[in-house]
Amino acid sequence: MENSNSYSPYSSSSVDSTKPLPSESSVNLSLSLTFPSTSSQRETSQDWPPIKPRLRDTLKSLRLRQRGYNTALFVKVYMEGVPIGRKLDLSTFSGYESLLENLSGMFDTSVICGTRDSKHHVLTYQDKDGDWMMVGDIPWDMFLETVRRLKITRPERC
Amino acid sequence: MNYFPDEVIEHVFDFVTSHKDRNSISLVCKSWFKIERYSRQNVFIGNCYSISPERLLRRFPCFKSLTLKGKPHFADFNLVPHGWGGFVQPWIEALARSRVGLEELRLKRMVVTDEGLELLSRSFVNFKSLVLVSCEGFSTDGLASIASNCRHLRDLDLQENEIDDHRGQWLSCFPETYTSLVTLNFACLEGETNLVALERLVARSPNLRSLKLNRAVPLDALARLMACAPQIVDLGVGSYEDEQDSESCLKLQAAIRKYTSLRSLSGFLEAAPHCLSAFHPVCHNLTSLNLSYAAEIHGSHLIKLIEHCKKLQRLWILDSIGDKGLEVVASTCKELQELRVFPTDLHGGGNTAVTEDGLVAISAGCPKLHSILYFCQQMTNAALITVARNCPNFIRFRLCILEPHKPDHVTSQPLDEGFGAIVQACKNLKRLSVSGLLTDQVFLYIGMFATQLEMLSIAFAGDTDKGMLYVLNGCKKMRKLEIRDSPFGDAALLADVNKYETMRSLWMSSCEVTLGGCKRLARKAPWLNVEIINENDNNRMEENGYEGRQKVDKLYLYRTVVGTRVDAPPFVWIL
Repeated sequence: MENSNSYSPYSSSSVDSTKPLPSESSVNLSLSLTFPSTSSQRETSQDWPPIKPRLRDTLKSLRLRQRGYNTALFVKVYMEGVPIGRKLDLSTFSGYESLLENLSGMFDTSVICGTRDSKHHVLTYQDKDGDWMMVGDIPWDMFLETVRRLKITRPERC
Repeated sequence: MNYFPDEVIEHVFDFVTSHKDRNSISLVCKSWFKIERYSRQNVFIGNCYSISPERLLRRFPCFKSLTLKGKPHFADFNLVPHGWGGFVQPWIEALARSRVGLEELRLKRMVVTDEGLELLSRSFVNFKSLVLVSCEGFSTDGLASIASNCRHLRDLDLQENEIDDHRGQWLSCFPETYTSLVTLNFACLEGETNLVALERLVARSPNLRSLKLNRAVPLDALARLMACAPQIVDLGVGSYEDEQDSESCLKLQAAIRKYTSLRSLSGFLEAAPHCLSAFHPVCHNLTSLNLSYAAEIHGSHLIKLIEHCKKLQRLWILDSIGDKGLEVVASTCKELQELRVFPTDLHGGGNTAVTEDGLVAISAGCPKLHSILYFCQQMTNAALITVARNCPNFIRFRLCILEPHKPDHVTSQPLDEGFGAIVQACKNLKRLSVSGLLTDQVFLYIGMFATQLEMLSIAFAGDTDKGMLYVLNGCKKMRKLEIRDSPFGDAALLADVNKYETMRSLWMSSCEVTLGGCKRLARKAPWLNVEIINENDNNRMEENGYEGRQKVDKLYLYRTVVGTRVDAPPFVWIL
């Protein structure tokens, strides 16, 4: 079995897609994504409080459903300079990592959170107060509750 | 020593059922050891790596029921990486090769495969009971084998497993001639259920006592199922989205009125908030109520239900019930023995659904309470001292304050005195979980007073090695100690190596133990398996020159008579 930082089942005869990922602070560094140093705070901890995965999932989907009665989890995503936007269902992602991966694929460029860069597009979001913020500073679940739309900024502008 | 023939002694031993007692009588003399060996029916193995199946079969050739536990308890909270171990396959293979007439298999936190289930179903003609708790690695195909091949199956009880659901026809694999089902619990399956097959199965199972459905069984199906099985004692409701379907609702209400035997109710996995009222007619007989997954049901509806449940002995509920709701429980449920209150808000976002007041109310109102698991946002020493005074009969006391290191919210003091009062008053305390701001002092109290303590869970607590030492030196009956994110290091770990021979296991993660310390321990105690779980670095620890002082991410050690296990994955290093 290769030594990699990502997880792979060793002997199970079936892959379980409902199993929650382990703490996403052990990020797979082979993806071309960069996070500022506080990555351990970003993703919601999967091991505290000490409740079983099934209850954790139930509570997560409950909060998402409750939130759904006010606003949909589909948010508009715009790339700066491109007039036509896309729509993305944020409930399908488990965290910032998977969101960035998906956006990078969707817009065919490398999208990151955090530090401004002359090469990369930086992801920002509009929160429920109407303010534009840098994506990635708050825990994922909290982000889902407050995000209203996404904008991928051009490298220099941010 | 023996004044009676062996058969008489054996007959007497039949009345001795607890594992501890049977272990004791086997130590009396050689003759009793031999008689006990051949007559032991139920074998319990708390750690599957402490012994091998071959040695088990040599000692107990005639057992009928086997209970096996695999992963350590903290695996329930994602602290043990996938693939660590706990594979049941070698056990099933060894049992299949032998001539053991296995009738019951109970597994907890183990990895089970479809191949294993198929082998199990084909190897034991009298197989009656399969209970899987928190297991993973199999799919509904494995269940199909069990259904097809186990002619005498009575119990299929799947509790909180991760099962790959192939949208099974597994339910239709029970033969039409099969009528002996007593327990069927598939609440943890996520996929669609063949409702026709389910209804036919239930209709031809006159002995069915326990039925727990998954979320794919809607209201109208529930009504039909209940109508053809009014003898059910234990019901797990799947889905209960009442789309104002009045016909199904009426059918359900009619069925519920006939449910005079119902004693236990659970489920409501997908539930419209007002649906509980249909069950009010049966509440007065309920002894067990588990609504810990009914996240959508409002506190007020929970309270209305509980007001009818005067005979309740066991209650598992979410904190949406609130302190007010717990006061209703305290005044209504005078027979209550076990209470679990689970959190709904994982971020501590200021939603103080239950507080120390709820806990105090319960302790004052429920004189028979002996087990509690309580998640809350805040606690005080005064409340814990009151609880200890009200309830000196606790056997299990688990308190989880959601925010680590949180002090008494009134005095800002650590909660040492509160937990100290609990261990001092509760002389029969066997299991304890502590939380909040705690110094070494609380462990001094635990070591001094918790003489019967067998399992202790520590998180984000303590100041120095002294804390852990107080516990190791004081708690003579300790069996399982699990510690995370606490400043205990090598000095505590190595102080008394022989202590670990009296315990089942020790878990330490995100503590201060170093690789050097663990290596020294492994050298001193060859009868221990000392496992280092380091997912991030794999075995780069060895290459790094500072290994002696390098902190170990996760340590799991356990006594064993069969040495190092051979099935460990690369990220587990057994010293």
